[in-house]
Amino acid sequence: MDFALERSEDRLIGRPKGRVDETNWKPFSQALIGAVRQAREAGATLVIDLSELEGLSSRELRVLAAAQREAGDDVGVVLAAPSPQVREILAISRYDQLFAVTEDPAA
Amino acid sequence: MSLTVRFWGTRGSLPVAGRAEAVQAKIVRALMAAGGRRFETPAEAEAFARETLDFAAFGAYGGATACVEIEGAAPAFFICDLGSGVREFGVDAVRRCAAGHAKVFHVFLSHMHWDHIMGFPFFGPAYDPMARIVVHSGHPDAEAALRRQQAEISFPVPFDALGADISFAVHAPGEAFDVDGVVVSLTPQRHSHGSFGFRFEAAGRSVVYSTDSEHKMEDLDADAAFAAFIAGGDLVICDTMYSLGEAVSLKQDWGHSSNVVAVDLCHAAGARRLALFHHEPNRSDEAIQRVHTETLRYEELVRGARPALEVICAYDGLEVAL
Repeated sequence: MDFALERSEDRLIGRPKGRVDETNWKPFSQALIGAVRQAREAGATLVIDLSELEGLSSRELRVLAAAQREAGDDVGVVLAAPSPQVREILAISRYDQLFAVTEDPAA
Repeated sequence: MSLTVRFWGTRGSLPVAGRAEAVQAKIVRALMAAGGRRFETPAEAEAFARETLDFAAFGAYGGATACVEIEGAAPAFFICDLGSGVREFGVDAVRRCAAGHAKVFHVFLSHMHWDHIMGFPFFGPAYDPMARIVVHSGHPDAEAALRRQQAEISFPVPFDALGADISFAVHAPGEAFDVDGVVVSLTPQRHSHGSFGFRFEAAGRSVVYSTDSEHKMEDLDADAAFAAFIAGGDLVICDTMYSLGEAVSLKQDWGHSSNVVAVDLCHAAGARRLALFHHEPNRSDEAIQRVHTETLRYEELVRGARPALEVICAYDGLEVAL
């Protein structure tokens, strides 16, 4: 699992790639929380591009929630580019009520 | 030998009574579905309704709190929790005892929160001097909780006035024990004052009763231990009170879990069937049914190459044959 970060105007875009499993969830969670902290320092919104995440189960969802908790009220966290299946899972888990969800990470 | 798991109470936290508006809505849906048809007999009308209406319209999930019976594993009654559903079970048990069933009741108590013990003062066999009740628990204070509930400030019949021979057995997690030929084990769960999940193995079948258990996102390592506990379960009854979104935000640390976590744990464990359980009291029949439908879809989306996990939604009166 890889996690790349790039700055785009007032956004910090995180791009997880691959699948979260029992061997990499902790580093992924730490990377995501680190990204939240960077976004806070930069006064940016953190956009998490889900397009290259392979599947979305409760493991990934719980890691996203940890990032949201770290963000608190002062850092915006947006989920971007979910596949139709991932969008369904966001609805089933009610994560679409916890996070803003957008199609385009750069928009 | 076959096992039957019978759900006497499936609601979480507080009993829920059906209100007139809910019944009226079901009648309206049935009439609309009938569309002016004429039925010659009640049986014909029932067959139409059963085939045409969904469960939320033709049935009801019920409102009694946690009580689940496992029948067929042993000559004695096996009961998980003493929620308000145990009153109805007691009525049925008296009927079965009159037909010759042994008056021996093994109760497996997940914990002593109100909704899991509130039915005991109304459990008919507790008043029968010929009945024997053994309460199995991981909590040393289970007896104190049941005695306190019977104290005069809460109820007019004190514990010592109950007619049955009532005893308590405290068990340690990880140490399987035998009850009438059934191998029982328990595991600690995250909940206020702690709760325990139970696993029953008999007749080549396994049933897991896991309610009031929060699976924290910080504890993904603990998921593996829980998956091992439920491994290969023929029926895994799981606390699915909240959505995951609720469980990780507003209702985190409230001690309950979600449908999606239950599916993932059952997948990891190679379980055969999951029963959604401990329904949120604010959920209507339509809302519970929607959660069931969504859980079926979620299971399909995340299944991958695994065998399909059957997902059922428990309701008061449901019987599952294993």
